Amino acid sequence: MALASSLGSSSVAADDNARGEQLYELCVQCHGENGEGDSMALAPAISGFGQWYIATQLRKFRDGGRGRHFDDIAGMRMRPMALSLRSEEDVDAVSAYAASLPDVLPEPTLEGGDPAKGQAGYAACSGCHGADGYGNEMVGAPSLHTSDWYFVKQMHNYKAGVRGTNPKDAVGAVMVGMATIVPNDQALMDLLAYLRTQQK
Amino acid sequence: MIIQDWLAQVSTYAGSIDDLFALIGVLVGFWFIVSEGVFFWLLYRFRAKDGVKAEYITGEEKHQKRWVSWPHYLVLICDIFIIYGAVTVWYDIKQDLPSPDATIRVIGQQWAWSFVQPGADGELGTADDIATVDELYVESGKLYHYQLEARDVMHDFSVPVFRLKQDAIPGRVITGWFEPTTPGSYDIQCAEICGIGHGVMAGTVIVQTPEEHKAWMMANTPQVRDSISIAANTAR
Ligand code: HEC
Ligand code: HEC
Ligand SMILES: [Cu+2]
Repeated sequence: MALASSLGSSSVAADDNARGEQLYELCVQCHGENGEGDSMALAPAISGFGQWYIATQLRKFRDGGRGRHFDDIAGMRMRPMALSLRSEEDVDAVSAYAASLPDVLPEPTLEGGDPAKGQAGYAACSGCHGADGYGNEMVGAPSLHTSDWYFVKQMHNYKAGVRGTNPKDAVGAVMVGMATIVPNDQALMDLLAYLRTQQK
Repeated sequence: MIIQDWLAQVSTYAGSIDDLFALIGVLVGFWFIVSEGVFFWLLYRFRAKDGVKAEYITGEEKHQKRWVSWPHYLVLICDIFIIYGAVTVWYDIKQDLPSPDATIRVIGQQWAWSFVQPGADGELGTADDIATVDELYVESGKLYHYQLEARDVMHDFSVPVFRLKQDAIPGRVITGWFEPTTPGSYDIQCAEICGIGHGVMAGTVIVQTPEEHKAWMMANTPQVRDSISIAANTAR
């Protein structure tokens, strides 16, 4: 129990977390050595997330709240990976390890956004994802400084009901509504351009 | 026979596959035991003895050759039975396509099975199709055609209790059939290595009674489901 609760806190340093490091060897296949992501594997950067977000998503994949929609090709790849973690302790350990990786900002792959327009549009998001886009654990909203192609993909997923519609994903459901207020892909590019100006 | 004590038979043709296994097992097993018996008896009978030199046998003489040729002829006779059994079963299950009560799509992808079945209209490719992931709901006593597809790499749709195993090949739609018999939940697995998640690419087939299946269809057919929730909303 003591072990579980200490692993549960995001303050666990990489070197104390041998179990997490060992489990992370699986994740390397797709998310990369430093959690930088790999678009070929459809796997986003995960190094910039807090332990709480990684653990929450792993649990969603495990209980079927995510990655079980007919059109969720990428989610169906991730779900068995989460299922292959044996225990809740393992979920916490690997999340803590992934969160302890140095936060490298993923290389931009999408261009053509207008940061000024993005700033206006982002007003609708900042309440939850924070003024600088680094997220807010209190409301469960993650950092948006992740792989840009993945940002776009997830917004499409929310809009199409591929993510956030499972009854087991009540928290994700808030994003389904939010995604509909972003009118089109250009607006997504603008949001990304603005978010880039906020990167630290 | 023995096989179904280990693994239930839940399709109409599971029995004939098991019978074929039993036929091959018994015939091959019989000759295996006999030949091992002869082999060890010969080893013992002609074991090393003081003063007796080992003989080099070229096997050209008739009385020596018949140790090979007679069993050979007997095994060939057994082969006729095995080939007859195998071709009959193969024809019934893989070549013949009895007319279906329903047609479903089975799709393999890294690393999940997903399914599409017709809604109330009984037609695939219409708005009331029911799509599911991981779980296939079918009705006992109903003959299904499946159209098997792969979205990325090769997979293999394997339902052990149906004695069904069929490769799924990207770019092809492979049609086959099964008819479930006994209600219950059974495993689906992937039997073709397909990447890092192959070992956990599992699913469940839920064989339902006609009543259960009807209720499931009502609850999951998109249009029906939506009109139920509209009704619930307007009632409020
Ligand atoms: C086979 C490739 C693969 C492996 C191995 C893998 N993942 Fe993933 N992961 C993915 C894909 C693809 C997605 C994107 C899912 C989507 O688009 O919804 C993903 C998404 C995620 C997410 C959600 C990120 C977000 O921003 O919502 C987390 C967290 C995650 N993976 C953690 C892990 C961890 C921890 C491991 C190791 C135990 C791991 N993954 C192993 C492919 C993989
Ligand atoms: C009411 C609070 C709220 C608002 C407002 C909001 N979000 Fe979210 N967002 C969330 C939560 C909570 C999640 C995590 C959902 C989950 O746990 O699956 C999330 C997840 C996301 C994700 C997925 C991130 C990932 O790594 O998988 C994206 C992308 C996103 N939001 C973009 C936006 C954008 C763009 C806006 C503004 C148009 C916005 N959000 C507004 C709460 C909010
Ligand atoms: Cu497979």
